[in-house]
Amino acid sequence: METNNPNIEPPKEIERSPSGLTILWREIVRDKLALISLIFFVATTAGVFIASLLLDLNEIVKVDLFALYERPSSEFWLGTDYGGRDIFGQLIIGTRNSLAIGLLVTLMSGTIGILIGLISGYFGGTIDNIFMRFVDFFMILPTLMIVIVFVTAVPDYSIYSFSFIMTAFLWMGIARLIRSKALQERELEYVQASKTLGSSDFKIMFTQVLPNLSSIIIVTMTLNLAANIGIESGLSFLGFGFPEDTPSLGTLISYARNPQTLELRWWIWLPASILILVLMLSINNVGQALKRATDARQRRG
Amino acid sequence: MALLEVKDLKVHFPIRGGIFNTVVDQVKAVDGVNFSIEPGQTYGLVGESGSGKTTTGRAVIGLNKITSGDVLFEGHNLAKGGRKSHLNVRKDIQMIFQDPYSSLNPKKRVADIVAEPLRNFEKLTKKEERVRVEELMELVGLSTEAIFKYPHEFSGGQRQRIGIARAIALKPKLIIADEPVSALDVSVQAQVLNFMQEIQKELGLTYLFISHDLGIVRHICDHIGIMYKGRYVEQGASEDIFTNPQHIYTKRLVSAIPDLDPNRRESLTVKRQQAKKDFDELSDKFFDEEGLPYPLKPISDSHLVALPEKG
Repeated sequence: METNNPNIEPPKEIERSPSGLTILWREIVRDKLALISLIFFVATTAGVFIASLLLDLNEIVKVDLFALYERPSSEFWLGTDYGGRDIFGQLIIGTRNSLAIGLLVTLMSGTIGILIGLISGYFGGTIDNIFMRFVDFFMILPTLMIVIVFVTAVPDYSIYSFSFIMTAFLWMGIARLIRSKALQERELEYVQASKTLGSSDFKIMFTQVLPNLSSIIIVTMTLNLAANIGIESGLSFLGFGFPEDTPSLGTLISYARNPQTLELRWWIWLPASILILVLMLSINNVGQALKRATDARQRRG
Repeated sequence: MALLEVKDLKVHFPIRGGIFNTVVDQVKAVDGVNFSIEPGQTYGLVGESGSGKTTTGRAVIGLNKITSGDVLFEGHNLAKGGRKSHLNVRKDIQMIFQDPYSSLNPKKRVADIVAEPLRNFEKLTKKEERVRVEELMELVGLSTEAIFKYPHEFSGGQRQRIGIARAIALKPKLIIADEPVSALDVSVQAQVLNFMQEIQKELGLTYLFISHDLGIVRHICDHIGIMYKGRYVEQGASEDIFTNPQHIYTKRLVSAIPDLDPNRRESLTVKRQQAKKDFDELSDKFFDEEGLPYPLKPISDSHLVALPEKG
């Protein structure tokens, strides 16, 4: 037998195999575009949230008749709109609002979707049938119409109520995805084994099955985030988003519906348009990298 | 008294069809099975794919719903009530699964996998739990440092040992081993089987051993039941089945066991062909109109065979 040579024992760190999160992170680092996108997104998010704390919203949205349609200058970095309001300030606060809605909607719809998907997929049978008919009902509703009706009917809505109403119609996709994955997982023997070991169904669902779905959840939530920011901006652009005293990226872009603004006053709508394009692209880049990481055959790293 | 007694066990799965998704037919996976296992013994359940042997084992442990019949474990009827009933009795029955690759959760460390039954049934502190897990790892011959690794870092045989460690964590009385070695390669099979026999002696375990490999069953089982299409064709002590098979199906199975001795190759081939001929010619007589075996009839104290009525 070997003598007790301490050098033979390999260091423990090397033996560790990469966990799911490490694989996701490694894929992002390997994909330079995704890494740059991630840095940009995090920097923008942190930037607008911190900057909006320093800015005074009331000051920004106050109408100033002596400064209508000012060009970008040292006083107004990105000029002013038809009410003499500073575009740069609106851009910062608008980005914060749009991001906040996107994040809130993604988190809330994700939570509801995961819960319903996991329950119906894990139990299957009648429970699955009931939940899925419920999901079907929500999917056939004309979402956009109902959101527009809500926005017109409720006179004074906030970021939160707007997020809630969007969440109510956006949780079905992730619920169906999680359900299909849970249906697969529950047939695996480790679930059966947990049952024979006396674990309760809920314990198996949340501590055994859910961790195995973590990477797919991260990927879907990331890609949903981009989509949700887009939906908010789209509604605001159509005029069913926030009122003008609550700027968002969509409201800034909607000024371009005025042909004169579109043609002659680029500073009002162009920065917001570029920002939303770049933001969504970068979230998408990160999401695609994460998506690749979940499939070993597509991985780059 | 027998540790486990299974009486007229039936497990039927409904086939749904039609517009209203009504039950149109039943798959009779297990159709009237009787057997009993004495403490400390190994009972082998043998049969071809789809014969219902795994379903029987899973019904005993509560993974499949029992349509009718009784499962008496130390006098408690486990067939009454759902999976949640008799929880304290059920912890004395554990299972070793067929596929060591999917029976361990890939996202859990070995320490958590082995500790799962302990966390469900025993209130241990973190420290006590750690000690118990390390004891179990030593018992199954794995190093105690391995408890912080993930299952995929182990080989098939090692994973099956982890599965065994998990199954014996609660010191059960009965272990249902559902083809525990069929996913392993042959050199590892012997290792795991010998190890299972060692811990059987050490811990006084009783095995319900489900397998289609007659060589293995002959090696480790005291009593054997042969299943065909959800019913028993023959049941008896290991000796009875292998030296004195009575049913044509059993004869054919036994003649199919490979032998390494090249000198006997010729005679075995003749035997196999004879068994096949018998099976083809006599299957009308040995099976009823639906092709199912007849009810069992005793031909000696320990030996029961599904012989036709006229004998």
